[in-house]
Amino acid sequence: MAVKICFSFRVTLVGKRVDPRKIVKFIYDLLLIKAKVPDKMTDQQMDSALDLMRRLPPQQIEKNLSDLIDLVPNLCEDLLSSVDQPLKIARDREFGKDYLLCDYNRDGDSYRSPWSNTYDPPLEDGSMPSERIRKLEIDANHAFDQYREMYFEGGVSSVYLWDLDHGFAGVILIKKAGDGSKKIKGCWDSIHVVEVNEKAAGRNAHYKLTSTAMLWLQTNKTGSGTMNLGGSLTRQKEEDSNLSEASPHIANIGRMVEDMENKIRNTLNEIYFSKTKDIVNGLRSIQPLSDQRAQAALKKDLAAALQKRQAKTVDN
Amino acid sequence: MSSGYEDEPMIDDSKKVQIVSNFILHTPPGELEDVLSDIQVLVNDAQVFKTAVMRAVATYNKDQFIPAHLPDAEQTVLVTEYNDLGSHRFFDPRSKQSFRFDHIKKLASECKPWKPDDLLESWRSCFEEEIDLYTSKHYKNGVACVFPMKEDSKNKSFILNICMEHHEFQPGNYWNGRWRSFWTVRIQPGSSIQICGVLKVQVHYYEDGNVQLVTSKDYQVNFDTDTKLDASKRFIEFVEECENSYQLALAENYKTMSDTTFKALRRQLPVTRSLIDWNKIVLYSVGKELKE
Repeated sequence: MAVKICFSFRVTLVGKRVDPRKIVKFIYDLLLIKAKVPDKMTDQQMDSALDLMRRLPPQQIEKNLSDLIDLVPNLCEDLLSSVDQPLKIARDREFGKDYLLCDYNRDGDSYRSPWSNTYDPPLEDGSMPSERIRKLEIDANHAFDQYREMYFEGGVSSVYLWDLDHGFAGVILIKKAGDGSKKIKGCWDSIHVVEVNEKAAGRNAHYKLTSTAMLWLQTNKTGSGTMNLGGSLTRQKEEDSNLSEASPHIANIGRMVEDMENKIRNTLNEIYFSKTKDIVNGLRSIQPLSDQRAQAALKKDLAAALQKRQAKTVDN
Repeated sequence: MSSGYEDEPMIDDSKKVQIVSNFILHTPPGELEDVLSDIQVLVNDAQVFKTAVMRAVATYNKDQFIPAHLPDAEQTVLVTEYNDLGSHRFFDPRSKQSFRFDHIKKLASECKPWKPDDLLESWRSCFEEEIDLYTSKHYKNGVACVFPMKEDSKNKSFILNICMEHHEFQPGNYWNGRWRSFWTVRIQPGSSIQICGVLKVQVHYYEDGNVQLVTSKDYQVNFDTDTKLDASKRFIEFVEECENSYQLALAENYKTMSDTTFKALRRQLPVTRSLIDWNKIVLYSVGKELKE
């Protein structure tokens, strides 16, 4: 049994984002021989499932993912925790405030609001952060609310934390939809998952950040017809930081998230508006190619002539 | 923590077939082999799905206008639903051959002579000449085909289906792209032509992510014209005008998306033009109740 657990651990942990609650449940299930023991086959299946999700049109992530789960139900939990989906918004009726839904604040069919800390639909034994972590979660929600306002000037954000043995983990979510001006719809989703390992009696900590930004752009103008440009980029970063009153967890995480999101924004800008546009213009040339070829030939001739002349000057 | 999916019954084979077919049909250009090998790993009892997979792959290939090389032909022919003879055979009007196509290996074989209809052929070859010239003018390695189709024998009208494809696959640089143009020209010899068309572009960029551009636009126009030469020239003029202005419209969208939409979603830096002072934010946040 011990061998089985170790093996399952390896299989579950390698290269994936892991919710520790799931590992606990996983081992529990394993001990009760409830869960299927993952073998080489499911490991390979997970790789193929993720490869498939990297290829199918991101504009239909939700449908593709639910189809994939229907096809391979034993990958359900792994897929839900490793494939990012566009964030959904729900309303906390008690606080009159919106919050975001993802796999990390889900328990069964219910989602926990970061504002009232309750599940909707209500759950009696829904998983909850410890008192210390909940306190940090409240502060983090406050801090990232300000961050969101400063960078996104609108939208919705939510932070969810959960306990780990030597620290905690959390997810910072931001969603902002455009106003659809100039007939173009736009939407941004940020999903930052951070794992925090507290070390040296709490004097420093190791942070592991996995960030995904999704950008959706769409228009249906008369001149251009339907144009849908969307998808996501994912980046990872690890860092050690001192932990003190002057440098608390939220500030350390905040700086990492801000730096990462700024970088991803630049990359999105590059890939969406320069790279894919260049590919389109490489597929078809508005200028007749013969003109281009003639121009290229002329350039080559000129360069050759210049070189010849320089060579001559040197000779003389 | 339960998934919420656990109590759902297993789905039957017909639903599985539908899902697998749908995945195949949505494969980005140039990535069919990767998607098929993923599916093979995911669906263990592949034998059950063989027929369905084959059917979906054939539909996908025809929809993508994939090019096929005939052993004895100089030029490439596209595999589309407009030259499909059934039983995996297609015709190439340019080299006047029919051939068998293996949709998985993408290989043409068993070529046989194919005899065109004389009246249609004179119009077809006239349009072919124009579209070939046009394609080489705007597409580096584009392939265009003109497929004839009889329509109404009473008033002698017929249709030319004109398919154009150009792709560039660079999996080493994590991107692939394909441009497709499709035009249906309904011809009433000696009086008029009706043109319907659609332009489609798909680009996939997938280095540490999955970004896709999917576009399409429909076109329609009628011309009064009496000769095949005039008809083919006016057709090409219309196509060039549509495709050029389409490309310009896409470029304009790119500019608006980048300059307006993207900027309004997230700023490069806060209004203060400097990075956030997190200690200040934390100071302000700690101990605050969420309800204000």
